[in-house]
Amino acid sequence: MILNRNNVVISGEGERTIMFSHGFGCDQHMWGPVARSFERDFRVVLLDLVGAGRSDLTAYDSQKYATLEGYAADVVEIGETLGLKGAVFVGHSVSAMIGGLATLKAPGMFSDLVMVGPSPRYVDDGDYTGGFSKAQIEELLEFLADNHLGWSAAMAPAIMGNPDRPELGEALTNSFCATDPEIARQFARRTFFADNRADLPRLKVRTLVLQCQEDIIAPETVGEYVHAQVPGSEYVLLDATGHCPNLSAPEKVAAAIRAFV
Amino acid sequence: MSETPIGEDLADLYDNAPCGYVSLSPNGRIVRINRTLARWLGGDTDSLLGEPFHSLLSFGGKIALETHLAPLLRLQGYVDEIALDLLQADGGKLPMIANAAEKRDSDGGLLSTRLTLFRAIDRRTYERGLVAARSEAEARADSEQEVSVLREQFIAVLGHDLRNPLAAVAAGIGILARNEQLSARGAAVLREMEDSAGRALALIGNVLDFARGRLGQGIPLELDAERPIKPVLEQVVREVQVIAPGRDIQAHIRIETPFLCDPLRLGQLASNLLSNAMTHGDRGKPIVLDARTEADGFVLAVSNGGRPIPEDAQRHLFQPFFRGAIRDRQNGLGLGLFIVSEIAKAHGGTIEVSSTEEETRFTFTMPLGRSATPDAA
Repeated sequence: MILNRNNVVISGEGERTIMFSHGFGCDQHMWGPVARSFERDFRVVLLDLVGAGRSDLTAYDSQKYATLEGYAADVVEIGETLGLKGAVFVGHSVSAMIGGLATLKAPGMFSDLVMVGPSPRYVDDGDYTGGFSKAQIEELLEFLADNHLGWSAAMAPAIMGNPDRPELGEALTNSFCATDPEIARQFARRTFFADNRADLPRLKVRTLVLQCQEDIIAPETVGEYVHAQVPGSEYVLLDATGHCPNLSAPEKVAAAIRAFV
Repeated sequence: MSETPIGEDLADLYDNAPCGYVSLSPNGRIVRINRTLARWLGGDTDSLLGEPFHSLLSFGGKIALETHLAPLLRLQGYVDEIALDLLQADGGKLPMIANAAEKRDSDGGLLSTRLTLFRAIDRRTYERGLVAARSEAEARADSEQEVSVLREQFIAVLGHDLRNPLAAVAAGIGILARNEQLSARGAAVLREMEDSAGRALALIGNVLDFARGRLGQGIPLELDAERPIKPVLEQVVREVQVIAPGRDIQAHIRIETPFLCDPLRLGQLASNLLSNAMTHGDRGKPIVLDARTEADGFVLAVSNGGRPIPEDAQRHLFQPFFRGAIRDRQNGLGLGLFIVSEIAKAHGGTIEVSSTEEETRFTFTMPLGRSATPDAA
């Protein structure tokens, strides 16, 4: 039930479990190349956050997922279902914070937290520089409204009802990262208007911050801020550019995680 | 038939194609761009070389590039039909549609990313118009829904406020009729008044039940397994007979097991069915009420003779405010059968109609036992 809800996929063999959670914009496919390299000595758990990928869209509740706490509660439920203790949580982008919140909810479930391109708050606030203004985030929402990315989930019933229009099925080619557009819109709001700065000093588990260069979503200054705020955390600046090193430089990400755990 | 092969200059096709071409290095910088695209952007090809592609995008586009397009390109090697706004040299935004594909080496490593872009000012304007029209329609539907709920709440409140003073008037008429010495004319007038007040109260009751049903609360039930249903039904038959002394009304009531129901609501159901039969049935033919418990259910049927109900009318009988087309003189709002069906529903039962030249029959059935909705009034 819980495992279906989050489309949990388990592979690999090993005593220890490593769980990978994706960020805003895609689904568990983001972790494919990195996750595969852990399969020979870890039990590897991949998941889709509710509303993304092949998660159960009927489980989406805009109240529950109005804050990142709702997503963190799901991570904890998955951990409980799998009986996790002392596992590794690897979260990309918004999932880095979701993982942090999960370690606070369920002490002992995860002993190591890897935050890839984390940001506790995207919008600038006084002395704090998140890198975004509210107007810029509205622009992103506009882009999402203009684009058909991942409309396949919402369109599926229409396609099934239109056997005489096969071109519709043919047209929906962006099958990865598919999601319901309304949910994507809400998730964008929750992600980019979230503020979890106060949670960082409360984190108790071993934490690694993996930072990329030229990342416009989570700039280096934000990665350094997270490192400074999480007690005893380690910080690695990857030789990779952009916001998605798990796809653009998977071997470097895997090596950094391996060196840490 | 001979054709002269027309030589096409591929370099010229690249540079002056009726679409934009741009190629990006693995770290996202422009390594080649055609003249068409440079011209559209208001610059020249040399000044754009080496620039990060995302510097041509609005901020929203930049985020989308990082969170959606780049991952999709890595995962599936291409992305089609992306709507993007590119920034022009003078600060303007150019609406475009783009396809993108990766050029990879034999190990799947990224060599470059190629984009083909089309100006799409009209198309994007049209699409935005559609999106705007849809959200407008949704907003209008929402507000209409709100207004209609308000209207029904208003009806409910108004009905409630009317009922109390009217009940007082009816009670006063009753006291006068029983306790005062009246002239024959006075007594006749008072009887008329009592009838009218009774009819008005019944109408208000129907409107209130209707409003409750529409407001999603359903008909409230006061379930009672102790109170016998038989005397309630007999009383209903007597009341109907008093209103129409000349009609032949026969009742066969056989209740062998007590069951959980709201007896007064079932009385109302029977009363509505009997009134319906009186209004629409042939005056010369009997109206028959048949109520009995069976092995697993309670069945109440009311039948009358007369012209059959046309089939297309049968489909709408239980909708609110439905009135048969044939009658010109009607008292009532057309809520009686709607309320019958709501009472049936609240009891977990069904109401069905059959209508032939011989007879028209309404049949209510409900299961015995637990299926009545347990939410009391």
